[in-house]
Amino acid sequence: MSFLKSFPPPGPAEGLLRQQPDTEAVLNGKGLGTGTLYIAESRLSWLDGSGLGFSLEYPTISLHALSRDRSDCLGEHLYVMVNAKFEEESKEPVADEEEEDSDDDVEPITEFRFVPSDKSALEAMFTAMCECQALHPDPEDEDSDDYDGEEYDVEAHEQGQGDIPTFYTYEEGLSHLTAEGQATLERLEGMLSQSVSSQYNMAGVRTEDSIRDYEDGMEVDATPTVAGQFEDADVDH
Amino acid sequence: MMRKKTPTLREIQWGQRETEKLDLRALLCQASFGRLFYSFFKSLVGKDVVVELKNDLSICGTLHSVDQYLNIKLTDISVTDPEKYPHMLSVKNCFIRGSVVRYVQLPADEVDTQLLQDAARKEALQQKQ
Repeated sequence: MSFLKSFPPPGPAEGLLRQQPDTEAVLNGKGLGTGTLYIAESRLSWLDGSGLGFSLEYPTISLHALSRDRSDCLGEHLYVMVNAKFEEESKEPVADEEEEDSDDDVEPITEFRFVPSDKSALEAMFTAMCECQALHPDPEDEDSDDYDGEEYDVEAHEQGQGDIPTFYTYEEGLSHLTAEGQATLERLEGMLSQSVSSQYNMAGVRTEDSIRDYEDGMEVDATPTVAGQFEDADVDH
Repeated sequence: MMRKKTPTLREIQWGQRETEKLDLRALLCQASFGRLFYSFFKSLVGKDVVVELKNDLSICGTLHSVDQYLNIKLTDISVTDPEKYPHMLSVKNCFIRGSVVRYVQLPADEVDTQLLQDAARKEALQQKQ
């Protein structure tokens, strides 16, 4: 397979969580041989005995699972579905947004199976992959609270103990505001400085102190004078 | 961080012309709505759901757990199109990356839609104040 290449095995610097020797790799049903699977925080890698192998980036891993069917010809194994194409002729996996062929409206799917000789290791391999996946939230994900930095403990936050990551993301985003966004920010900050009189507690656990500290344009719309107030969201209260 | 995104619930409510103004609020409320849905999914742990991925694969299973990024762990899974994905037939438990989920189909009688709407509206109002 020409996409195999030689690279040094991941070590502690890459956040290696688990390495599993004597593990066969199977790509879309085709065996690649036996080697070592490296589950690191940075990426998932597999290297065969001659030092050739490949790496998978966690954001491209759609799902992973344990197959427990002993009657399967491979036996119990770790199944990994990747959102990329691995062509035999190409050197590297092609992410779907780089594809130019007519199938570009179809998400590419590649199925890997990692078959360790030590079946008792499967649970730990699965868990290690779960942990690593959680370290790579998709920055495009509109629903995520993600920000550069440490884990965001939602429960601690709900209890009012955590930092508020949105402040981090806000400050990072400050430099990306358009001119109109900047004008909006200034207007909101102006309103804020006039009307920060009531302390309020919301799910974001924002206090007056935190507002002043971060100046996040947290508007306190005491009166609906701002154009475009969302009347439809105004319910009786 | 600022990023291109598909319309959020709030944008749909307020209209696209408000998007600039909403950039700040959207940032702030995204976090809250993310939390809202995280809490919502947590309340569904143990229920049977069908997760449809962006690659069109649909997986039926019991919701085992969910994290803040809406990564989903399912147990006792079955694939709705086993002919296309025969390798998943023997899979019992799986971890699905949150960002590849297109839809999560929920049992209608398990979801208090009114409650969810009220919670979302309340969240939106608190953002406004």
